[in-house]
Amino acid sequence: MAASSDSSESDQLRPSDQSVSCRSGNRSMRVAENERRKKAEEPFVLALKYFSDVQTGTPVTGNDEFEKNLVLVERVAYSNGLSPEAISIMLEFAMSLRMGSSPCVRVLKCLLPSSVVPQEAVVRGVVWLNVGKMPITTQVLFLKWVLTVFDMIDAKDQLRAVYGFIFSFITEENLCPFVCHLLYLLTRKESVRAFRVRKLMDLQSKLGRQPFLLHLLSLYKVFSPELVALSVPSRVKSGFKNHNSPWKVALAAVQRRNGAQIASAISLALPVGDRTSSRKRKHGHLQIPVLTSVTNKQPHTEQNSRKKLIPLVQIQSFDQLLKTMHQIELPAQMGSLLGSGLALQYLDCVQEESALLRLNFWLGCALQEEFLFGSDDDAAHIPEETLQFLDKLLSAQHFLQEGFSSSDAFLYKFLNVWDGSLMRPQILGLLSNIPVIPALHLGKLLFEPLTQLFFTSSLFFKCGLMECLNSMLVKWLTWHSVYALEDDLDISLGSHTSVNMTLSGFKDSVMELVHFVGRLASVGLQLEGCHTLLLSFVLDFYGTVCDTFLKFGLPLVVMPPAGVFYPAFFAADPISLDRLAHIMHRYRVNLTSAKNQEKATEAFHISRQTFQEFNHYLVFMVNCLWNSRMFKPGMDVRLSEELLQKSNVPQYWTRFDLIHHPALMSYAFDFHQKCWPGRKEMDLNSIKHLKPWSWYLQYLFNQGFDGLKDFFQSNINQQLTVDDGQGDSQQR
Amino acid sequence: MERPQTRRTPLSGGVEKRMSKSRSYRLSLRSCVSSRLGLTPGWTTRRLNSKRKAPKSQNITNQVSPDHLALLVKHEWQLSYVSPLYHFRHTQLKSYARQLSAFIAAEKQQGLAVEVGIQDSFKVSFSGVQGLAVADDDPETVLIQVHTKPVFAQQDDPLKLVWSGWLTCCNGSPEYLHSLPKDFTCLPLFGSSGAQNLTSLVKSWFQKNFDCSFGPLEINHTSLEWLVALWTNCNTETNIQNLKMLWTLPVEPPLQVTYVVEGNDAWDLWSSLQQRSEGDGGEEAGWIGIEEVTAFMQGLKNHFYRHFRLELSAGNLSQVSTSLGSAKCNGKIKVSNSRYMITTLTLLTECALLKMPV
Repeated sequence: MAASSDSSESDQLRPSDQSVSCRSGNRSMRVAENERRKKAEEPFVLALKYFSDVQTGTPVTGNDEFEKNLVLVERVAYSNGLSPEAISIMLEFAMSLRMGSSPCVRVLKCLLPSSVVPQEAVVRGVVWLNVGKMPITTQVLFLKWVLTVFDMIDAKDQLRAVYGFIFSFITEENLCPFVCHLLYLLTRKESVRAFRVRKLMDLQSKLGRQPFLLHLLSLYKVFSPELVALSVPSRVKSGFKNHNSPWKVALAAVQRRNGAQIASAISLALPVGDRTSSRKRKHGHLQIPVLTSVTNKQPHTEQNSRKKLIPLVQIQSFDQLLKTMHQIELPAQMGSLLGSGLALQYLDCVQEESALLRLNFWLGCALQEEFLFGSDDDAAHIPEETLQFLDKLLSAQHFLQEGFSSSDAFLYKFLNVWDGSLMRPQILGLLSNIPVIPALHLGKLLFEPLTQLFFTSSLFFKCGLMECLNSMLVKWLTWHSVYALEDDLDISLGSHTSVNMTLSGFKDSVMELVHFVGRLASVGLQLEGCHTLLLSFVLDFYGTVCDTFLKFGLPLVVMPPAGVFYPAFFAADPISLDRLAHIMHRYRVNLTSAKNQEKATEAFHISRQTFQEFNHYLVFMVNCLWNSRMFKPGMDVRLSEELLQKSNVPQYWTRFDLIHHPALMSYAFDFHQKCWPGRKEMDLNSIKHLKPWSWYLQYLFNQGFDGLKDFFQSNINQQLTVDDGQGDSQQR
Repeated sequence: MERPQTRRTPLSGGVEKRMSKSRSYRLSLRSCVSSRLGLTPGWTTRRLNSKRKAPKSQNITNQVSPDHLALLVKHEWQLSYVSPLYHFRHTQLKSYARQLSAFIAAEKQQGLAVEVGIQDSFKVSFSGVQGLAVADDDPETVLIQVHTKPVFAQQDDPLKLVWSGWLTCCNGSPEYLHSLPKDFTCLPLFGSSGAQNLTSLVKSWFQKNFDCSFGPLEINHTSLEWLVALWTNCNTETNIQNLKMLWTLPVEPPLQVTYVVEGNDAWDLWSSLQQRSEGDGGEEAGWIGIEEVTAFMQGLKNHFYRHFRLELSAGNLSQVSTSLGSAKCNGKIKVSNSRYMITTLTLLTECALLKMPV
């Protein structure tokens, strides 16, 4: 009690705290936030300062300060990329060779821009090339870097101004291919001069018909055909080699992390024979398209709607979305709606059939191409994008609180070929979103493949599947309680939105599902030796099942099969027993309430057999736990008297009562010690006397066994006393 | 332990009403789109037709323009399936041509800092091909051609055709076509021939503009067997010369068997089967059933076994060709004789429709 009052006090305090801080203004909070951010950045700023100030000739080896700072810069570079200023500083540091050429390579490799590369830095770098101390391989590396980030350089005018300077490097044999490529990207009509053409022709006669020279020459010829007398073949075989630069992967990762602000336009190769795209294409279908507006406006829509349509891309905030809800124009590709939260909000309101169909076509194709038809040679390796895509799909479904029909259709096919481990969490997540299926089709679509998977997979898959089926059942029942409508009430939306599913059809489906899980659970528990973990997931499921009437308003009660009930009852851990007691208690409450309503309204009927099953279990539980009469005739658990005698178990009929049940025995010991601290000999039977018995019950209930508490309070009439506690357990 | 604490006792009055027998559920439009299509996923198993009309020589030369026909017959096509196109209008083909050439030019220019006079180098044309739509519901076939003017070509050099492709629907399942809302145009079969990167550019332009998706269309074992039978059946009208089949057997090292049957011999076997089955039911004349196809293939395989002791059923049929055309399991097809083009395209349209996700 003390603890709870404490917490409530602090709960009360907290809001007032907040209001105080609110009054003192959001400004201070913002300042604090800024300061915090500054603090985090400070070491990085210091590191940059180090590199801009470091003296020429500072030794590298054994220089811990240098090492520390460089590591810091590298970390920032690989995670978020470097800002333009940082690029300038680091490039200047590297190219000036202030600390020799060995750190230069390292620095160049981590020069990943977060946004743009300042042109001045590149020009200065080019100038440093000429100083002449730099090893040729490092020079090549620098040029490769410039080519890689070429599209990210903020302007090119100054670079073009030093065209002649860059051209002078062409004589260096190792640099030549890269210089040619760079020149190719920079060339303009005015750069084409007779002496340059001559130089190139010279080189060509020296080096042979190299493709890079040919390419540059052919470009020259385009600009000034009169200067280039060479006959260039109309089709040069391949473009500049797509140098497998070390930055590409890292750069792509940085950009992805930065929200892909910069459209990746870093294709280095000339259009002819683009090699990078073939790799991309393999998983291409799993890319959520970019939100774009329609380019082909339909003429008739312009006539029809006088109001101006606003493309969804232009909507920036939720407020704006709300205000313009009725003028929003759908994007060119519906799949792009999955890409952003705001678009999902809108998708929730989309009522246009074709739009949803478009979405489903796209999604269905993407899924089936990736997982059904795609010949994946390396199945064990799941690319990051695949997982991201599925997670995105799941969160979209979660947001909309339902699945997409194309992903359902995909699952029905995929379950037949699934190995049960590939992307298990994602697939089970999608599976739990499957809408109600008519009972007739359940077997073929779900039960057959799932049975196979269940019995051939590990314990963890079994648990996962139980959890998935439980959440599927909850979703079905929730759907029922929300959407069940009277026919004459269904006027809110066009008639095409109501499904042809009757209440009895729905009940059949739910019953099929519950029975199916019952079968799986019974055999699964046997296979896994009544594993506690699996049992816990099974009990979760029945925790949903026992409350279908009261919680979800579905007049259907299904009892667990013996294969689930008995393992739970005989479980050695008290939690399972307690949960079973709780479930039985809820069954009782549901059945009683259903019975009363059935009498009053006669609108539905709970079968007699369900009551019988319930009573059967109930009598068994009460007899075992309360009355210590385990083996009574007519029970499911039967052993011959002879065998029981032979077993030499003393008082075998009491072995599963509240004191001797293996799950509760330790509590009985504990209670015994507390109750009679002086006693040397343990006599558990002495708890059975009237006084200690009620204390013992109190003690048990205080241990948190609320399930047992509810169970006994509703099933045992305390007035009837212990010796004949038959209780009012008969429901007829 | 989690425990349901909320006990929503059903309100007696409300429940009474709610429990009435006739009840329906309101389903969000989103999740019932496809069920409205009558294609409720999963539990309508669409299959390849088990029966089809025997191909008859159809002279489509007077329906289809000879230029188009020559083009269709000349190339080997790489097949894909396409989900229905949204807001595609046959009346706007000219504007599409302009847009696509602009798109290709823009894409080609990516990564170039200078324009290299590219704007004129690609010329796209869209044209409707009349005469290939057989059933009333079939939308008209669309032919796309990309011409280029080589950068260093002379002024009056003719444009060179570098890429061509078509979208067609030949005898598409009327049920499916009818179930689509009218905003959609279903041209499920896409064939392309030309540079790979142009193919992907065209595809991505279609995806962006008509919100459709492409996927490769393989010609599976059964479809290839169908083609064997359908083509053999034509032998009386047009000599198929040789029936050539390529089998891949899963042994180590992989074994490829090329099995060539003289056209007339194949036809003899085929007609013997025909006579037998025609004895059963005369009213089905002009139709070929899957049983006949299987029996025919079995006959061919038995013959091979008798001579080489090699069971071809253990392997896969990966390629067939006759003088009427050739088909490969990786989705490459060539129709050499325009007279039987409709039959082949009908079969392929069916395959493409089977690939539709919803």
